Amino acid sequence: MSTCDQAELLRDYAFDELPAAARPALQRHILECASCAAELDQLRLTTAALRVLPDQEPPQRIAFVSDKIFAPSRFWNFAPWLGFASAGVMAAALVFTATHRPVETRTVMVQAGSQAAVQPVDDIVSKAVSQTRSEDARMFQAELAALETKHERQHRILMDAIALMQQSQNTNALLAAYTQQQSGAGQ
Amino acid sequence: MIFRAVEDADLITRVRKGDVEAFNHLVSRWEKRVFNYLLRLTGKPDDSLDLSQDVFLKAYQNIRKLDDTARFGPWLFRIAHNEAYSHFRKRRPEAEPEDAERMEREPARSVAPELTLAVTAALDRLSPEQREAVVLKVYQGFKFEEMAEILAIPVSTIKSRLYTALDLLKVELAPTDNRGSSRGMR
Repeated sequence: MSTCDQAELLRDYAFDELPAAARPALQRHILECASCAAELDQLRLTTAALRVLPDQEPPQRIAFVSDKIFAPSRFWNFAPWLGFASAGVMAAALVFTATHRPVETRTVMVQAGSQAAVQPVDDIVSKAVSQTRSEDARMFQAELAALETKHERQHRILMDAIALMQQSQNTNALLAAYTQQQSGAGQ
Repeated sequence: MIFRAVEDADLITRVRKGDVEAFNHLVSRWEKRVFNYLLRLTGKPDDSLDLSQDVFLKAYQNIRKLDDTARFGPWLFRIAHNEAYSHFRKRRPEAEPEDAERMEREPARSVAPELTLAVTAALDRLSPEQREAVVLKVYQGFKFEEMAEILAIPVSTIKSRLYTALDLLKVELAPTDNRGSSRGMR
């Protein structure tokens, strides 16, 4: 350490902290004072030695992702109230649905390019349904008629069979009586 | 340095309007300096990285409190200083930063090992306050006024710490021979 009374200024000068106005005088002093010159030399060597330790690269880069969704904003200040409001709307919707039948809606199919072509869908559906129903009825009647005819024919065949069976029974009875009569006459 | 301050001020204005990318630009400009400052205080890369992240997070959260955008550097290092000492206080029951933790410091690469070890050993012999003064002045290049702002102490105290530290370091790193000329570690 320099014993010169300029030692403090010398250190400020070494670290570039001496006001510009005071530098020329100190530079002249250093040329004349061996103690201060040696001290300056030593300070510069010391700082140069310290600077051999290089800066290291951080092992990871630090980065911040956009956190706008987390950042407080005026909108999110009302978030709790929005929660209550949405719950209220849902409750009202449930009550309304339970107490009111849904109103029928008339849906109109629009065909592009012609106003005349505008026709209610329900009419078309009704017509189609009635056509289907009449067709079903016609087919049912036809089927029923065919079944009745078939049933009638089967009934007639059955009755003929019964009649034949009755005739056959009568014939057998007559034959038995005749056989018995013949055997009685022979004795 | 002036251009950098101007650009920092512009980025800070954008950050204050909600531009996170502008803050990422600020981080990329300052993260190496902050990391190395903390590394030289703690001696632990992992702790330094965690602390750096905390520093930038606090900077982001408090950037509206920065009065003079041209003073972003000292303001950021003030946060880093507080984070480092808060970290030391939490860990004090386990180990003092100047002994056990500093033993884990990795020697710098691409420098003569004996010189690196000599510098590291010389720095380790300083008190934490002296070492921080050396780090801020020699490695970070802050002015005395900025250092006073970072450490929240008078300039006279800064000078006292720095020059006392240099007197100790000179003995280790630039000893003089009997004839008064310095030999140094060349």
